[in-house]
Amino acid sequence: MTLFTTIYSFLYQFGDSFAYLTLSALGLAVIFGMMGVINLAHGEFVMCGAYITILTAKAGLPLPLAMLTGALTAACVGAILEYLIVRHLYNRLFDSIVATWAVSLITQQTMLIFAGPSIEGLSTPFNSFELGEYSFSTYRALLPFFAIAVLAALYLLFFRTNYGIYARATIQNAQMAKCLGLRTPRIYSMTFALGAGLAGLAGALYAPTITAVPTMGSSFIVPAFVTVVTGGANVLLGVLPAAGFLGLIQSGMTAAFGQLAGQIGLLITVIFVIRLLPKGMGHLFTRR
Amino acid sequence: MTVILETKDLSKSFGGAQVVDGINFRIEKGDTRCVIGPNGAGKSTFFKLLIGEHEPTRGQVFFKGQNISEFLPYQRVAMGMSIKFQVPGIFAGLSVEEHLTLVLQRVPRITDLQDEMGGILDNFHLRDERKVKAGNLSHGKKQWLEIAMALALRPDVLLLDEPVAGLSDEETRETGDLINKLKTQGITMMVVEHDMDFVRQVATQVTVLHGGRVFAEGPLKEVLEREDVAEIYLGKR
Amino acid sequence: MNTTDPTNAAAPTGAKTPALQPWKTLADPMLLLIAACFFTPLFLSEGGVSNFAYCLIWTFAAIGLAAMWGFGGILSFGQTAFFGLAGYCYGVFTINFGDSPLSTWAGVLSGLLLCMALACMLGYMIFYGGIKDVFIGIVTLSVTLVFETFMAQTAGPQWAIGSARLNGFNGMSAMPSLSLPGMGADNILLEGNYFLFMVLVLLVIVYVVTKKLLGSVFGLTLEAIRENPHRAEMLGIDIRRYQLLIFIFGSTLAGLSGILYTVWGSYITPSSMGLTASAMPIIWVATGGRRSLAGAIIATVALLDLSQELVVYGSQYALVLMGLILLVVVMAMPAGLLPTLRDKLFKQ
Repeated sequence: MTLFTTIYSFLYQFGDSFAYLTLSALGLAVIFGMMGVINLAHGEFVMCGAYITILTAKAGLPLPLAMLTGALTAACVGAILEYLIVRHLYNRLFDSIVATWAVSLITQQTMLIFAGPSIEGLSTPFNSFELGEYSFSTYRALLPFFAIAVLAALYLLFFRTNYGIYARATIQNAQMAKCLGLRTPRIYSMTFALGAGLAGLAGALYAPTITAVPTMGSSFIVPAFVTVVTGGANVLLGVLPAAGFLGLIQSGMTAAFGQLAGQIGLLITVIFVIRLLPKGMGHLFTRR
Repeated sequence: MTVILETKDLSKSFGGAQVVDGINFRIEKGDTRCVIGPNGAGKSTFFKLLIGEHEPTRGQVFFKGQNISEFLPYQRVAMGMSIKFQVPGIFAGLSVEEHLTLVLQRVPRITDLQDEMGGILDNFHLRDERKVKAGNLSHGKKQWLEIAMALALRPDVLLLDEPVAGLSDEETRETGDLINKLKTQGITMMVVEHDMDFVRQVATQVTVLHGGRVFAEGPLKEVLEREDVAEIYLGKR
Repeated sequence: MNTTDPTNAAAPTGAKTPALQPWKTLADPMLLLIAACFFTPLFLSEGGVSNFAYCLIWTFAAIGLAAMWGFGGILSFGQTAFFGLAGYCYGVFTINFGDSPLSTWAGVLSGLLLCMALACMLGYMIFYGGIKDVFIGIVTLSVTLVFETFMAQTAGPQWAIGSARLNGFNGMSAMPSLSLPGMGADNILLEGNYFLFMVLVLLVIVYVVTKKLLGSVFGLTLEAIRENPHRAEMLGIDIRRYQLLIFIFGSTLAGLSGILYTVWGSYITPSSMGLTASAMPIIWVATGGRRSLAGAIIATVALLDLSQELVVYGSQYALVLMGLILLVVVMAMPAGLLPTLRDKLFKQ
């Protein structure tokens, strides 16, 4: 019984890390992988999703709908941001990083001014279950499965829908895509909104489990870009193994040395990965 | 006549595609060799293997008798090789003068920098554009600036990959004249080119590549008169 | 990197042939401006002088970043890591070895040497390891965050070097000021006006040295590497070596800022290495024009002073303004606010 509970406990931790890394990273991965833009305002889309979820849930909307609203709001804000700022910086990679960072800074601080240091959160649904002497949050135990479901949905989106084909074509050769009649600005816009929406979804999903503060984006952006960089530009082939690998490292380090050690473990790993696998882990799986 | 550059069984594959396949090549000091062949024959890749941009999957490169297969590009350049790629590689934000200063500073043999620079500017018709930022030059002038830089290094071997791509007929002829003038200075040159008039103007020997292999080699006239060479261009082989 | 770089349009590179560098250095307007600053204690209160010195402290990190980014094309997010590291080093050294002139200046030297050593190791891994472009930023940002996270959890008493406790989030404090050996028993404490003078003297030295360095063939080579690293390599330039050298140079300057900051306030905390803190040098340098040393200095002092004014209302306002300035500069004036204004005013 104890061995089983210990094993499950580790699996739970791993699943928790994995879910957090995957869900944080997907939005950033879509935007980076598809458009080559590193969106440092990513964390703020997460915050947006979380805040809207909390506000609408408290206003009476059932939780799943509130979460959907949160994600969609983030997607809309993403579309606006793309139109106003990101669109002008597509062939200026460094400048897009700096510009989105500026947006992140402005958003965080403005939220601090208007929304105060924190808002009252939501309670975690589903309560907890017990195994041996440990008790686990059912909701958080389910999140890894949800993360995989989102990945599967993304796969379907990119490989089975028209949007998916247009998007992949545009990303691979925008000039050619235009010549074939694709409206590339629209596709970039939709892809950016998709990335923002995914970030918002992450925020929405984690809203019931954490305290929502204006600076919460910072705790999502680091795992996100660590996962994206480790996984490489290929969204689907990269994020899954990267999140798995990093999840192992993080849960291992946290179990042995504590939360902050887990963070450090992630950061050091990304440094090594960049050094050893300049194209990310996803590259290992493609035939080249 | 000494062999200055030589390759033995030089090969390169990318993924599944064998782009350069077992090339045994040698060029003697002072020679001007044109490397020709249909598209996809592996000419540019061959040059990149010579300068060290790509690592060979098989085979070796010898320069001045030394095996340089493990050397990085900048080391090969320091030994006396110089290359000008197809795509104009200039420093957009620096002026013509700064380009030449940068290069001439690196050549220890040059005693009077201003004098040398003046000579180069005149030879390459760049005197008027001395202070112009390279990014603002016309395509032809960019090509010449690049050739000027590659030459300013006073290399022993100069590799030119499509030096007249995008140039007008007039400019092509002028470039040809320049190359011929250089021959008298004892520089060994290898030129990849599609423009047959230019090839006729400068080449003594040609090497024809096809499918990553050496297909034919020899004096220009002889090679160009061969029927099988014409056939590979027409895709019949 | 063949992306169009809008900064080319507004930034003059000037004549770089060494033969054309006469001794106009002394007539450099920026130097005259700095010299004029020696007189500011006549006009400012004690608090004003201290505040001015505070703004000047950060100029070294900005100059370092301008050299690395504007000239070398290396966007390093690591300035604040070296800043914090050097600061902590000074703190540890002087808390352990006392406040004599020898001890404090040795502390300064040790901080700078530590930065150089670390920059050398990190730079070696980056440049000789083939890490390029955007990934340089990511790796340096990760390093900065590792330091911050690590230092933040050093709260317990076991986290001490000698008699200096690292103190986690609260940081280290109560280090001595710098001093010069004086006549007789008392040393000349470099505080207040003297501190300002010392910083100004350092600024003059750093400015002249950096300008000479970047105006030389080394600087020209660096610019070539920035513009087209591939072509530079084909001219026989070992680009890794140049990138490593400028990285060490720029990072050590950030360390100098860190040491002076620690001396000025007598404290150093992990938050000076955080995500927000690492954005600041980038904002100043982007505003000042990353190819302009004078611009970097002026923008740093001006923006810091502006932030100080706004902090009264709440630091959030200051940061929102900084963010807005950065955004506007990046979108509309990529060459930098100051160079763009200068061009508009002087090209009429």
